[in-house]
Amino acid sequence: MIAGLLGRLAPAGGPATEAQAPARRRLAFLFMGIGIVALLVIGGLTTPSFLTLENLLVVIRAASITGIIAIGMSYITISGNLFALSAEELAILAACVFAFLMRDDYGLAVSLIATLIFAAGSGAIQGGVISLGGDPIITTLAFGALFRGIASLVSDNKNILLGTKAAEWLGTGRPLGVPTQSWAFVILTLVAWFVLQRTRFGRQLLLIGANRPAARASGLRVGQASIVAMTLFGVCCGMAGISAAAQFGLAVANLFSGLTIDVVAAVLVGGIPLKGGQGSPVQAALGAVFIALLQNFMLLHSFTTGWRMFVIGSLVALATIGFHLLQKRQA
Amino acid sequence: MNSRETFTDLAIRAALMVAVYVVFAAMLPSYHTVRGAAALLDGGVLIGLTALGIGITMIAGEFDLSVGSLAAVIGVLTVNLIIAGMSIIPAIAIAVAVACAFGALQGFVIAVTGINSLVFTIGTLIGLRGFAMIISNENSVTIPIPRLGETDFLAQRVFGLLSPLSILLFAVFFVTHLFLRYTVWGREIFATGGGRAEARAAGVSIIRPMVISFALSGTLAGLAGAVSSVRLGSATPLGFDTLLLSAVTACLIGGIALEGGKGTVLGILIGLFTMRFLVGGVASLGAPYWLQSLAIGALLIFVLIVQLSSTLIRDRATGSALLELAPP
Repeated sequence: MIAGLLGRLAPAGGPATEAQAPARRRLAFLFMGIGIVALLVIGGLTTPSFLTLENLLVVIRAASITGIIAIGMSYITISGNLFALSAEELAILAACVFAFLMRDDYGLAVSLIATLIFAAGSGAIQGGVISLGGDPIITTLAFGALFRGIASLVSDNKNILLGTKAAEWLGTGRPLGVPTQSWAFVILTLVAWFVLQRTRFGRQLLLIGANRPAARASGLRVGQASIVAMTLFGVCCGMAGISAAAQFGLAVANLFSGLTIDVVAAVLVGGIPLKGGQGSPVQAALGAVFIALLQNFMLLHSFTTGWRMFVIGSLVALATIGFHLLQKRQA
Repeated sequence: MNSRETFTDLAIRAALMVAVYVVFAAMLPSYHTVRGAAALLDGGVLIGLTALGIGITMIAGEFDLSVGSLAAVIGVLTVNLIIAGMSIIPAIAIAVAVACAFGALQGFVIAVTGINSLVFTIGTLIGLRGFAMIISNENSVTIPIPRLGETDFLAQRVFGLLSPLSILLFAVFFVTHLFLRYTVWGREIFATGGGRAEARAAGVSIIRPMVISFALSGTLAGLAGAVSSVRLGSATPLGFDTLLLSAVTACLIGGIALEGGKGTVLGILIGLFTMRFLVGGVASLGAPYWLQSLAIGALLIFVLIVQLSSTLIRDRATGSALLELAPP
């Protein structure tokens, strides 16, 4: 609805940013494709339990949670607002809200919708502060602390049990053999791709990210776009929170440890340019699959947590430098 | 900002700090005692040193997200060196030198590639945390009990108020103030943050101020990690995870501008103690530890909104925001 509103407010004339960087995007897709295939081949050859159906389902489910949020995050990055560092915390808070509603017998439908609205609102508030000129990283850092604090406060730092199995299928179900989270992930990727490439809102978002003064001069509501991107991100965090709460049958304030980092890593490794205005949610989705495969591969090779973080961190730093230099050369 | 405006600005911030102190002093008897004041000072050392480092990178128009992880690495490294048989002061010195070298390298890479420092330091934030876990075998490391006596000197007090660590805090702030204010290298940091294009046009190299500001932020975060680990007698690889949040909050309360080029060392000190009085007060009133992060987060949001609205009002008064606010 907000997208439609934005669309009507805008004058005609699409941004030309799309044509500028297809080469870079193709290269990013190529890197990701090679990376994922290489991991699958190396993993399959060296690790007997890697290419089993059982393990791949685990990987897909892990990739789905990271991926769902990474898609929301990609809208933030594309709109020129870098990242939100509050993903983990917002997902935790949403899980707590969902668990409370389920425990108090509000029913699945009401709990689902109320949680998603709550998560959307929490995203929108952050977007509001950012649209006033707040630095996205610092704003979301602050809200993250607030969300985690509230989650600890309302749960008293204990488990909140759902107390009902009504939501279990959301977390553990496998319609047609594929986990529900992965259905959500794939559908969301397609929808996000379609909205960005084929709707007026999407193309406005690309223009706003690419050239803020130009977007402002042509009458686009730059602040509103930040709010919409953050709202969509909030919804994605809400979905992740609901699916985890449903899967484990409980919510607790230390759920999702390290999720924000994985999501940021997915966006960066996927090669979405940080200056905004370019890139696609599909890149973030592929990045999430790659990170999940890599994490799983390292886990099966009994890398310790420290080594896993070290590898992911180095990968992020190197990918950042690599894509940055690539971009400089093309410009 | 001329010196008179700076003075007024600092006076307002100092008044806020005093107001926070008075509010809590009315509720908490410990705020009246020398011992209570000493505890407040000691509690500010870790965040204060880190905030000063972050403040310098913010003045340079950059941002160092990796400070918390670096503090954890240096804390573990210091304790490991002590376990290996080194005495306290050399262990701290070597570990802090490592932090300085890492910071300088980070600044060099950012300056040469022109990469966004926020994004690059997210990578090092993750990687350093992993490294802290690797060098500690994913466990807390502890100074051997027979040698704990060597760290006792840190618990001494001058006049019952100043510990060696709080003296260190004030000394570091004073030296940094002199450096930023009166040396060419310090002025260059302000110049790169205030107007990078102009600074470049005037012949200021970007590389030197960037290397210096990131080296300082690494050194200070490392120093904070090292001394607080020695004071505690142990270091955990997962520690210092909320350090960044507190340090940023102190800087913003102290009037360091996010867009760079603006800020004073005295302001950071005022911001630090405003936050210490508030968080220390909340803790003394018996709130659990997670409420402190809630309090800091809420405080940071409050400060952000106040600063943004004051900027908006000022812009509207001068009319420069009219273009932005005009309907399409």
